[in-house]
Amino acid sequence: MRIVVLCSSVYSETACAMAVRMAELGHTPVGAVAISTLDRGTLLRKLGQRGARDVIRYARAKLIPHRGNGRVQVSNPYLQPLLKHGEGIFHSLREVAAFYGFPIAVCNDQNTPDSIAQLKEWTPDLIAFTGGSILRRKLLDVPRLGVLNVHLGLLPEVRGMSTPEWSLLKYVPVGVTIHYVDAGIDTGPILQRSEFPDTAQCESLSDLRNRLIAFGVEKAGEVVAGLDRGTISATPQSGKDEDHQFFVMHEWLQAQAASALPTAAGRRSRGQ
Amino acid sequence: MSSAEDNAMTDQIAKTLTEATGLLHSPQRVVPLIQKLVSDKLRITFEQRHLYSYARTNRASEDTLNSLLHWILDAQRPDGGIAAYYSLLTGYSPSYPEVTGYIVPTLYDFARVSRDDGAIDAAERAIRWLLSLQMTTGGFPGGFHGGAVREALPSVFNTGQILQGLVRAQAETNRPEVQHAAVAAGDWLVKIQQANGSWSGAATYQNAAHTYYTMVAWALAELSERVADRRYALAAEKNLDWGLSHFKPSGWIDGINLRGHPNYLHFTAYVLQGVLECAILRRRDDAVEAVAKSAWVLLRKFETNKFLAGAYEPDFKNGQRFTCLTGNAQMSCVWFRLFEVTDDLRYLNAALKMNEMLKALIPVRGRRGISGGVSGSYPIWGCYQPLRYISWGNKFLADALLLEQRLTRSFVVNTFEALPCAS
Repeated sequence: MRIVVLCSSVYSETACAMAVRMAELGHTPVGAVAISTLDRGTLLRKLGQRGARDVIRYARAKLIPHRGNGRVQVSNPYLQPLLKHGEGIFHSLREVAAFYGFPIAVCNDQNTPDSIAQLKEWTPDLIAFTGGSILRRKLLDVPRLGVLNVHLGLLPEVRGMSTPEWSLLKYVPVGVTIHYVDAGIDTGPILQRSEFPDTAQCESLSDLRNRLIAFGVEKAGEVVAGLDRGTISATPQSGKDEDHQFFVMHEWLQAQAASALPTAAGRRSRGQ
Repeated sequence: MSSAEDNAMTDQIAKTLTEATGLLHSPQRVVPLIQKLVSDKLRITFEQRHLYSYARTNRASEDTLNSLLHWILDAQRPDGGIAAYYSLLTGYSPSYPEVTGYIVPTLYDFARVSRDDGAIDAAERAIRWLLSLQMTTGGFPGGFHGGAVREALPSVFNTGQILQGLVRAQAETNRPEVQHAAVAAGDWLVKIQQANGSWSGAATYQNAAHTYYTMVAWALAELSERVADRRYALAAEKNLDWGLSHFKPSGWIDGINLRGHPNYLHFTAYVLQGVLECAILRRRDDAVEAVAKSAWVLLRKFETNKFLAGAYEPDFKNGQRFTCLTGNAQMSCVWFRLFEVTDDLRYLNAALKMNEMLKALIPVRGRRGISGGVSGSYPIWGCYQPLRYISWGNKFLADALLLEQRLTRSFVVNTFEALPCAS
């Protein structure tokens, strides 16, 4: 299976983990397209989503890797098993690419003619999307099978943004959906839906997100293996109306979502 | 351009020029004017719309609420009426009966949560002044107090808006003269209502029927509940049905019908508020659904673009680049109320974010009339009420923040349980 990884930055741990997972399954990526780390639009979007303090903390963690117990740590500890590499850790997709021997193209937008020409040159069967631009039709038409996305929520119930948090507040089981990307927002055909079994162990929303990302990478591997064997096929989503679309959650509601966690942290938030 | 539009534009230019002469009388206003122009220019130049998701709280809602209410108390004139606006060119306007009336419920709501007797005193002074203005027919005059004779005709819309204040004041004080005034106003509105449920003719703006008069229907529905008289409820529902006939499949609402003006968000939001509140009082699920459809279109626009345009063309197309702050605050109220009746958390989420955006645009410093004021437009030179801080903007944002307080305090979260999927 010829797979290309799309990512928002070469420092994306999710992209690194996805590339490693595919390689472990015997589908070493044939290439990757990453958005430039210093892209103005991405920086501003991250600032808007996370705030300046978190962005600086993230940048610092990437540039000066933190060492706990004498070992280099990663931001998402649940990806560490995939990112471990001998005694070290993969810090960027460049390191993963160098190790497995695949090329990386850097761009400001994954939909530009240059990016699409590069993708066509790699003739992928599948593109694994781990972040970046909103994908346009021309790009979606490049891979033979489709563009694969790991959505941190069960589709079609919870589409859009802040989906783990919305799942908690809407009493929808927390989970991930592996689906093909189409022109809508999380409306593409579903390959696999998996409920997340460890919500009760999550100490916070960020802990839940981190665990879900690792769970999603694991499930994406299962789907790719299934597609390769021909045992998985996509099912179109029912009800593509806007009824299930959710948007970035306000921090007050996020605090309420945290209090819905059945953990000690959740009980503290509920004042119990 | 039609001659009516031509006249409206000429009127607008004449009004602007007259206002500009205000600076000659009070040159001390030049500094705050320039400060505001420069600060808005800088903000829109450097602001990146996608930088702000408004998902974080940067200013406490209680502080903003206090600032908004102090602005309103400062705008109360010696006669008891509340000024329509503070202009950066001419200062405070005279007392404005319509706004004075519908600010009264906000004053009582604020007093309830803050235990501020000043707000109650202000509401009672406002009501005393309004009672002195009521015409023998039961209607209330249009325009400013002391305005030109042609403006001193009874006005359906102003009477409806004042009726909201009278009904609330009657509920709070149980004074017979307030009830008498409210009933007289209601009787007049019922009497001159058209057979199709609309209001039109000499007592309406531009002698035409307008869908945003559903705000009047809301007031009549409230009066019906208060005095237990079905006549007012029937009139309210008649207008509600007429209003609903103007809702389009796209969510757009026809019949706002203001010649010479764009379709400002303020008026679209008026229709939605009027229909929704009337629907809640009259238990009309069909009307709630119609409002939800339009409100959802605007919610998606807000979530996607991080602002709502100050005016839209039909079917919510081609939004203008300025923002009508009072319309935004009204939409926040609509979303909060839709959350209350539908339990859909996305309305609550959008309203909380809208409040964050609006709080960030309220000046915390400055002279009386500016500090705590809600400008008509952002940037301040936008088409809607340019260079003015408007009292109804303060009213609607205060309402939105009061709704935020009430709904967030009563919010209950249940612990996560692994429920089976719906599909």
